[in-house]
Amino acid sequence: MTPTHDDDELRRRVSAAYDEVLHEPVPDRLKRLLEVPAPVVDLAAERARRRAAASKPRWTWAHWGGMAASLAIGVVAGALFMQRAGSDGVVVAGSSLTHALDAQLASDAPASVSVHLSFVDREGRYCRTFTASSTAGLACRDGAHWNIIATATAPASAPGSGAMRQAASSLPKPVLDAVDAKIAGNALDAAQERAARDRGWRR
Amino acid sequence: MTMADPDADVREQIAELLPRLRRFGRALARTREDADDLVQIAIEKALVRTGQWTPGTRLDSWMFRIMQNAWIDEVRSRRRHGETFVPEEEAEHVGVSTTDAQIDALAVRKAVAQLSDEHRAVVALVLVEGLAYQEAAQVLDIPIGTLTSRLARAREKLQDMLEVRQ
Repeated sequence: MTPTHDDDELRRRVSAAYDEVLHEPVPDRLKRLLEVPAPVVDLAAERARRRAAASKPRWTWAHWGGMAASLAIGVVAGALFMQRAGSDGVVVAGSSLTHALDAQLASDAPASVSVHLSFVDREGRYCRTFTASSTAGLACRDGAHWNIIATATAPASAPGSGAMRQAASSLPKPVLDAVDAKIAGNALDAAQERAARDRGWRR
Repeated sequence: MTMADPDADVREQIAELLPRLRRFGRALARTREDADDLVQIAIEKALVRTGQWTPGTRLDSWMFRIMQNAWIDEVRSRRRHGETFVPEEEAEHVGVSTTDAQIDALAVRKAVAQLSDEHRAVVALVLVEGLAYQEAAQVLDIPIGTLTSRLARAREKLQDMLEVRQ
């Protein structure tokens, strides 16, 4: 197929007809999906640094409890793109993940963050499992934040529509183990989940 | 010490492609809303399978392929549900300060919108995005001969529509 003059002219016109799209502002909803997070602080290294800095051991049971929980989970997997270390060493959800955990229901269409199981833990807090990109995790509500309790690399999902749902339904074992260790009673059903969401996850 | 996010690099590269993904989506899906929904679906699909993209190969072609497949799914789903496709609003584009170039662009987009889905996909990849025939054939998973014959037919149809219009 040798391009003729007409072909070249047509190519120019068709190309020009769509070029204006390149100059439109990209909608925020698309940009947000691709935000690159601030680097995740390595918890073990951060704790080692703070231990060294402490003049004397002053660990309370709360400290040990939090540390044990993190270590048992193998520290934060690092693949999660929406989290940051709080000043006290607790890892809390970043804004995108917080928004998803606050607002999304398990029945919602798959999105960049999907939320699945919701339950009340033994301390009376709401906890929810989620997948974001290639990471799955468990987060529990603590005041205004969602503390990250466990994360793990999510299993690769099969291609095709519904891939997000499949990924959602097969949480990695470390996350399921963390759920088992935390859960008091049964997971919330759809009505309880919606009611808890509407109350802002406060009990 | 910080831990690098293994997918951060791919996310950055997809972010750089966003204007072109939106342009390809516009050619494929016709309306701004459908096009941006399509880009969003494709990004979500891409982010859960970044491991399937081979670094060093063309990320744009990989994304176009995901978008094209997602669009086929969408078209089938809407036809099953008896939904129709909303044509592009002319009013959105024609205003008092409309130039000849904008009028021509609108005529071209209307002509492309009237092509079959198969022909529009070929036009979007080759004429709008400038992919080589071989690359476009790979995106669509069709033999190159099929691609060139579809392109020739699509070009003829566009020429006919655009000549009548002028």
